[in-house]
Amino acid sequence: MGLKKAFLRLATVGLGIGLMTSAALAANLRVLAWDGYADPDWVKDFTAATGIGVDVVFIGSDDEIWAKIKGSEGQDFDVFAVNTAQLQRYIKADLVSPIDITKLANQKDVLPRFRDLSQVSGDTKDGKVYGIPFCFDSIGLIYDTDKVKPAPTSMSVLWDPAYKGKILAYDNGEHNFSFTALTLGYKDPFNLNEEQMAAVKAKLVELKRNVLSFYTTADEAQQIYQNNDVALIWANYGQQQVKALQKIGAHVAYVNPSEGALAWLDNWVISKGVRDNAAAEKWIDFMLTKKVSGELSERTGFGNTVVESSSAGGNDKLVWLNNVEDPLKRSDMWNEVKATP
Amino acid sequence: MSGAGSTHAAERRLSQLVTVLAFALPVIFVLVPLAIFLVYSFFGVDQGTIVYAPTLGNYVRFFTDPIFLPVFWNTIVLCVSVAVICILLAYPAAYFLTTLKGRWRYALLMLLLVPLLMSYVIKIYAIRSILGLNGFLNKALVALGVLDQPSTLFVFNMNAILLTLSLLLIPFAILPIFLSLERIPQTLLRASDDLGASGLQTFLRITLPLSLPGVASAASFVFVLAIGDFLTPQMVGGISGFTFGRILYSQFGTAYNWPFGAALSVALAIVVIAAILMGERFGRSRGTSV
Repeated sequence: MGLKKAFLRLATVGLGIGLMTSAALAANLRVLAWDGYADPDWVKDFTAATGIGVDVVFIGSDDEIWAKIKGSEGQDFDVFAVNTAQLQRYIKADLVSPIDITKLANQKDVLPRFRDLSQVSGDTKDGKVYGIPFCFDSIGLIYDTDKVKPAPTSMSVLWDPAYKGKILAYDNGEHNFSFTALTLGYKDPFNLNEEQMAAVKAKLVELKRNVLSFYTTADEAQQIYQNNDVALIWANYGQQQVKALQKIGAHVAYVNPSEGALAWLDNWVISKGVRDNAAAEKWIDFMLTKKVSGELSERTGFGNTVVESSSAGGNDKLVWLNNVEDPLKRSDMWNEVKATP
Repeated sequence: MSGAGSTHAAERRLSQLVTVLAFALPVIFVLVPLAIFLVYSFFGVDQGTIVYAPTLGNYVRFFTDPIFLPVFWNTIVLCVSVAVICILLAYPAAYFLTTLKGRWRYALLMLLLVPLLMSYVIKIYAIRSILGLNGFLNKALVALGVLDQPSTLFVFNMNAILLTLSLLLIPFAILPIFLSLERIPQTLLRASDDLGASGLQTFLRITLPLSLPGVASAASFVFVLAIGDFLTPQMVGGISGFTFGRILYSQFGTAYNWPFGAALSVALAIVVIAAILMGERFGRSRGTSV
């Protein structure tokens, strides 16, 4: 994977140098995206269909996107991908342009939950649309179909004493507070008051006593699964994690809990320094075609906004990740949970 | 004459330069970073950004918050236990090595040190597989009839950290003990034999006291390496094996509270320095008194 990325980077650099000469003739569309969001065959198809050349730069972290966009005040890129939790920060810093969705023909045919963007938390501000969702994954529950019967429907199964010592949870205070808040029925899991925080903390101490261990990487969870008696995994890595487990022959299935599953959602946004707005709109509209979106899900395992995928069924409730009230406090309280005997 | 004088001057300048470099490198790469750490521990954090105003808040929090001192203390006890286990296992191994003759001695020593060439993380992964419920240890114990069914005693708790750290750090204990045993003059042992002492008496009154400096430095080595480790507890500690290293690590990762992390590091550094001084002091005084 790392090697593949390195090669891609290398290829991008090579391509960039090769294109420098042609860039002088026609301004290419400058795209900043994660690996898997702008595959070479799509870029080729896009250029063939529209006559617009594309330069893609791949990034590896949220911080890197911020550094690249903020560093040039948005002048270095036309279109980039960013998740809903991050987007508001870009809007506030005046680094992105509002998008006229009437120019995006394919946006009308997206899955119902993405049709009204004012309902997608984080994508709009003051009635203007800034982000067009195109890729997501939920953080659901992986369960061993041989050991967990009937199939679970809620995260509350993690507290079931029947599975004591057979549960893998994820080592992250922020997410754990959010999902436990959802399990307790709180409306806004990202903004908890003192009283709710205390209740969630007490509930997490109970959770801790029921789990086998807290993992950090998908590989780690898989290795622990292979060497121990694990029935349930809180799946921070969603579909990728399920598929990897199924590949090694594990009898596992995936469910989004009924109280709502946390989920990340990536959007295409147009930067403030966009050179050709129409070209940027064409790129986004192209990414929303059934072909590209379908292939995106096939290749990465992530959900897309156009074709149904295994990340979430039409009726699954998804709660888009958002910035939490106080990350430091959540991290401290998570340490307290772990230190409680 | 003048030509010789200028080469002398050049040589002197060169040696001065070397001297300056010899002093500057440790200062730049060791002392300055440590000083920066110390300074950071007196800063605070507000809304995710570091506030550069001096405060004792981090230290007050370390001593007053009910979670830090107990975890700190438990971690010290854990690491002392690791050191004791390592010594108990390494001493016989090192002693055995010194009884070997010639080439065999060093060939075997090299074999015992081979694990140090492997990646640390891979070793933890491997040990975790061995300790797991379906792992080698449980399978072996069940097959031998020691256990009726696989036990969860060996992984994702304090036992697991103790076992894993001991296994990982034994080479660091073998080496100094072996060196101190090897340095004992054979003439002393022969003299003791001539004077009619039994093998056990010779060991208890000659070999053991003379090897104590090696034991002391081995213990301080192992303790220091164990207490600074956060990865082993993170990977095999599960829910009950929460150590100081894990708290410290979280301050730099998710919490983004570098100043508090720096204060915790200072607390850790004090313990580490104390351990090293004790190891050295004990080792030296025993060594010179005989």
